[in-house]
Amino acid sequence: MTVTTTNIPSTTKASNGIKGDVSQEITAPVRAHWMRRLLRDRAAFLALLTLTIVILGAIFAPMLATHDPASNSRSVMTPPAWMAMGKAEHWLGTDGQGRDIYSRLLYGARLTLLIGFLAVGLGGFFGSLLGLLSAFNEKIDPWIMRTMDVLLSFPAILLALALVAVMGQGIVPIVIALGISSIPDCARVARGIAIGVMKQEFIEAGRAVGLSNLQLFNRYLVRNAISSIMIFISLRFGQTILIGATLSFLGLGARPPASELGMMASQGRDFLLFAPHIAVIPSILIFIIVLSANVAGDALRDVLDPRLQA
Amino acid sequence: MTLTPLKRTGFGVAAAFALALPAAAQELTIIRAQDSNHYDPPRTTAQSGAEIIFMMSDTIVGLAEDMKTIEPLLASSWDVSDDALTYTFKIRDDVSFCDGKAMTAEDVAWSLNRWQDPETKSPVRWRMGDVKSITALDATTVVYELNAPHSELLYQLAQSFGSIIDKDTFEALGKDFGVTGFNGTGPFCWESWTPRDKVVLTRHEAYNWGPANYENAGPAQVEKVTWQIVPEAATRTVALLTGQGDISPYVPFIGYSTLRASPNIKVIKSENAFWTNYMGFKITKDLVGDVKVRQAINLAVNQEAMAEDLFFGEVEPAYSYVSSGALDYDTSLDDSLLKYDPERAAALLDEAGWILNSDGKREKDGKVMEPLTITFTGEWQQTSEAVQADLLKVGIELQIEPMDSTVYWGKSATDEFEMYVMGYPYISAGDALNLYFRSANIPTPNRMNWSDPETDELLVTGSQATNETDRAAAYAKVMQKVHDSAVWLPIYHRPMQIGYSTKLAPFVAHNIYGAGLYKGLQLAFTE
Repeated sequence: MTVTTTNIPSTTKASNGIKGDVSQEITAPVRAHWMRRLLRDRAAFLALLTLTIVILGAIFAPMLATHDPASNSRSVMTPPAWMAMGKAEHWLGTDGQGRDIYSRLLYGARLTLLIGFLAVGLGGFFGSLLGLLSAFNEKIDPWIMRTMDVLLSFPAILLALALVAVMGQGIVPIVIALGISSIPDCARVARGIAIGVMKQEFIEAGRAVGLSNLQLFNRYLVRNAISSIMIFISLRFGQTILIGATLSFLGLGARPPASELGMMASQGRDFLLFAPHIAVIPSILIFIIVLSANVAGDALRDVLDPRLQA
Repeated sequence: MTLTPLKRTGFGVAAAFALALPAAAQELTIIRAQDSNHYDPPRTTAQSGAEIIFMMSDTIVGLAEDMKTIEPLLASSWDVSDDALTYTFKIRDDVSFCDGKAMTAEDVAWSLNRWQDPETKSPVRWRMGDVKSITALDATTVVYELNAPHSELLYQLAQSFGSIIDKDTFEALGKDFGVTGFNGTGPFCWESWTPRDKVVLTRHEAYNWGPANYENAGPAQVEKVTWQIVPEAATRTVALLTGQGDISPYVPFIGYSTLRASPNIKVIKSENAFWTNYMGFKITKDLVGDVKVRQAINLAVNQEAMAEDLFFGEVEPAYSYVSSGALDYDTSLDDSLLKYDPERAAALLDEAGWILNSDGKREKDGKVMEPLTITFTGEWQQTSEAVQADLLKVGIELQIEPMDSTVYWGKSATDEFEMYVMGYPYISAGDALNLYFRSANIPTPNRMNWSDPETDELLVTGSQATNETDRAAAYAKVMQKVHDSAVWLPIYHRPMQIGYSTKLAPFVAHNIYGAGLYKGLQLAFTE
């Protein structure tokens, strides 16, 4: 308490006392390019850097991998190189089948990120489209939103189970299930944002100059709402990855010998007592990806969302 | 021929000793991996069903730990007619059910007839042979008449399916028999069942008719037995190490070395387990229809490496479909078994027209060799992945579809796969062969679609043989035939292993239907 009292008056004084100058000083850096502002935030910078490294690793997995991720060897459950009994050949160790964990991690991240991107893309696209339409046209609004309420009551895991039962195991049903479960959230948020935009005067103006509904929707609504919606979708990414990994952990995701981070963690579960690295290493990577995605998403919102800049 | 009961050496002494035991905290917790669908003897084929049914009820005859010696149990003696069609059992008159009611020949005949009754829908009715009639002549005599000889009848009657239960309790409970209650003559009585959690049994105080393979004929030496389900394999190991459980036949292979190193735990092992894990081929499918392909797959898989790496040397790599210790196993088979030889595998595939393409995959007439296997999740999935990796080295791209056991059983009855996984217990070669290779057993358990009139004939000859030589000869021919056709890819023979606390007296593991503790009369605390 005593510490803050010395600080707060100084800033309030500054902003209140010399009105014009200080507000200029404060808003000037805020107006700086959003990318620069984002990178100035140390946590966001680290998160973005981590994500970039993981994504690059996933993209260039075939070049970076030291072993064939599906090929087994006779050295099973080798611990990571820095531990006793570790081997330099497998620096993150091997799993219960004698497969190189580092190489599987690269390919696993590939699949995990792919599932995340596709699912968020699918859910984000259809969700925001429905939300925008809902806000744009009051007649279809209740229909869309009540459908969203129904979808909202469907847990992603249950939906995935049902889809896997029908379509068989693979990443397609997982992507669809995760995508569908993202739709209602995205739709609600998009609708909220769009309703705000629809109240703006330029919409009225657009109508007055005789723009068609399509033009109004495309040029005025979508363009003004899209950045806020994208922020929400980016926040959704980490969560989707996590649910995707959960589904793979439950044995619903990729088919072996493909590797997926959740599946790798699940395969290590039986050895947790004796060779914890098999489950722990992929789990740590999931943790890092999700944390980075969330921190980066938050930071992105901080710098981009006009409502938070007040 | 007449079989008289073995003298129960030390019967009286053992009984007296058992009764004189101090009444300390005699509660035993057994850790298991899974539950049974219910505990109605003729209707459950689950190993987890059998292991509790053996404790709660008795069969007409028992089986010793060697898996070969038939012991008198509810029948004190029996006669078999010269044509092997009529078995006359002398039933003990001093046996009572858990509720105190005396058991008679009538109960025996009723229980066996219920097993046989089509309405019971017992999936293992064939184990009874071609029954003509089962009748109680008087209070202590049961006559079991067959239309055709059944050389394994006594072994089959020792299985849990033929357990004798109380008719009145069954009629009172109906479909809930073995769900909400049970009334048998076993060393333990039903107390409660919480599905997927535990089964609690209490001692049957009047019990003193245990089979002669046990020193203790009864009553049981512990007052209460709790069969506790712990689904996680690693947790079972820990539960045993920390004393939360006293015994477990379900320790994961990886855990045994830790348990052996622990001063508080002992591990017993029996090689007579007769449990084989294998992958079967759906031979009517194009990809695996050619015997050369199936042989190549057999040759490409390194069971020895799997036994060492995946199962930590706790299992015996399998090349034959039946363990060599089993009754009627023919040793002449040993030389023709397909052992690891990837070069020969590759040569066979070439010979069969499956040529390596530019991707390193086997291809024939534009089709790629990518057979699909269905598998349970868990240990079986690991096994399949190891097979997958081995096959990849000869250019076969095995597809794996793992599924939960609840889905697997239904799926395995379809035609939608090239390979499937299965582990099974048997008491003899004949038992195993009759189970899997009769054409009448298509689609399950004959998931291979193995339909061969000669096999059928030989199996009938074997099971109806009235002497051991004929029986063994017939089964040996079937064994040779199916091994030559490589209809399975055997993976390993699983020994019976039981980890137990040093607080318990040492005992011998049983192997009947994978129920390592059998009747539980041997289980006793030393402290």
